[in-house]
Amino acid sequence: MVEEKHLLAYKCKKCGQLHYPFRMRCKKCGNLSQFQFDTVPLPQNGKIVTFTYAYNLPGDFAVQKLGLAIVELDNGMKVTGQLKTVNPKIGKAVHGKIEVVRNEGFNERYGIVFY
Amino acid sequence: MQEVYIIGIGITSFTRLDFPLYEIASFPAMEAMKDCGVTEIDHLFVANLGGGRINRSTGLASAVVDTLSLTPAGAESIENGPASGASAIKTGFMAIASGMHNVVMVTGAERMREANALDATEFVATMTHPLAEQIYGVTLPALAGMFARLYMEKYGVTERHLAMVAIKNHHNAMFNKFAHLHQEITMEGIVDSPEASTNNPYVAEPLRFFDCCPVSDGGACVILANKEVAKKIKKPLIRIAGVGQATDVHTVHERDNPTDLLAVRKAAAQAFKMADLKPKDVNVAELHDAFTILEIAESEEVGFFKKGEGHIALENGVTSLKGKLPINTSGGLKAKGHPVGATGIGQVHEIVLQLRGDAEERQVKNARVGFTCNFGGFGNNVVCLTLVREG
Repeated sequence: MVEEKHLLAYKCKKCGQLHYPFRMRCKKCGNLSQFQFDTVPLPQNGKIVTFTYAYNLPGDFAVQKLGLAIVELDNGMKVTGQLKTVNPKIGKAVHGKIEVVRNEGFNERYGIVFY
Repeated sequence: MQEVYIIGIGITSFTRLDFPLYEIASFPAMEAMKDCGVTEIDHLFVANLGGGRINRSTGLASAVVDTLSLTPAGAESIENGPASGASAIKTGFMAIASGMHNVVMVTGAERMREANALDATEFVATMTHPLAEQIYGVTLPALAGMFARLYMEKYGVTERHLAMVAIKNHHNAMFNKFAHLHQEITMEGIVDSPEASTNNPYVAEPLRFFDCCPVSDGGACVILANKEVAKKIKKPLIRIAGVGQATDVHTVHERDNPTDLLAVRKAAAQAFKMADLKPKDVNVAELHDAFTILEIAESEEVGFFKKGEGHIALENGVTSLKGKLPINTSGGLKAKGHPVGATGIGQVHEIVLQLRGDAEERQVKNARVGFTCNFGGFGNNVVCLTLVREG
């Protein structure tokens, strides 16, 4: 059985503030110690904050248009990801899966895709 | 602190220019030196974003200072995304304000059209967050599309309002011989007629082709000086009265409210405070309308209109050429063009023309105070300038 993959948030060891994406210094307590974050999985479910279908894409995307969204996850954090749900609307509930989101030659990049 | 004046200006057409990048940066500098008659330059700041990647040309400032036979003056290249131009002006301002230099040349250039459209889009997208945005295929138009959708839903802005920005700025550009697009557009042609969706296809929903600026080549230059030098030039005295810069989080999703442009708000507030002026004192402004929605949003964030009311002012003609506060008289990025490194300097070029009274058919009557907003990334690094005419 394959373990389910998650996006990771960075939790400050000192004050507990969550960050996504990674930053070197906590935005809340300003801690200056090294390795100050624990990684914690982000929830996969959330609601669409806003979305678009983009048509003029970087050359390695072999699709006519690409759905992209900012989603507010169940813990209140927001992330950017690809959008494959049908009939998207602002506020619609979506479920995220970790998949290959970009194929740059031999370099497969994983990220979150919302259905 | 020494007061800083703009004594000379120069610009190229914003279009496709089949010249090396350093020539595109140098041509407007020649024009600016001719404009003020000053050729003794203490230092150069050269703004550019894509030279290394698109034109295989780095160390641009060193090439420009030599091309202009200005060696051994000091010279640096400045890169701050689409706000490179205003950042270079800000750096020049600091050099003179500090008393370190008397005369500084600030020139900017971009040669984007050497790349094909896909490469240009991908290149610009390298400004987005590498791990949290870029890997998904997020581009600047995509960020603008997501911003626009939320903004429109929240404040009742419609596709027609966006089209009004494009129609206004295309109209203004008709009077600017340096503008990239000399093409009047109509509501019928881009929104209402059965052909509109063919004329004006989606780029990043809800934004369409005519909501986006063109990809331009071009250069622009200003020469800055202290008061002692400026007083000797037989031109109206144009002073950089206020400078503001602010940053915001890199990813748009990390903003508490994704429709707020906090860096614009803070940079503008600083530029007004330093000048001891208020948004209501401004007679003419150039705002960074890389996408039509941004002109509306920035007109609110800089303080011209209340949040959510920019589109109403637009609808009422307040921001038109004959309105109370004309915005983007040059045609803006939308129609004048967006040669990235030159854009912020081009905005200041337009304001100087307006304040001197040299803007010909697009002249705003009795313009005394001008304002520019140069927007880097998707609003994560913004530089605003307040310019005043003295005497």
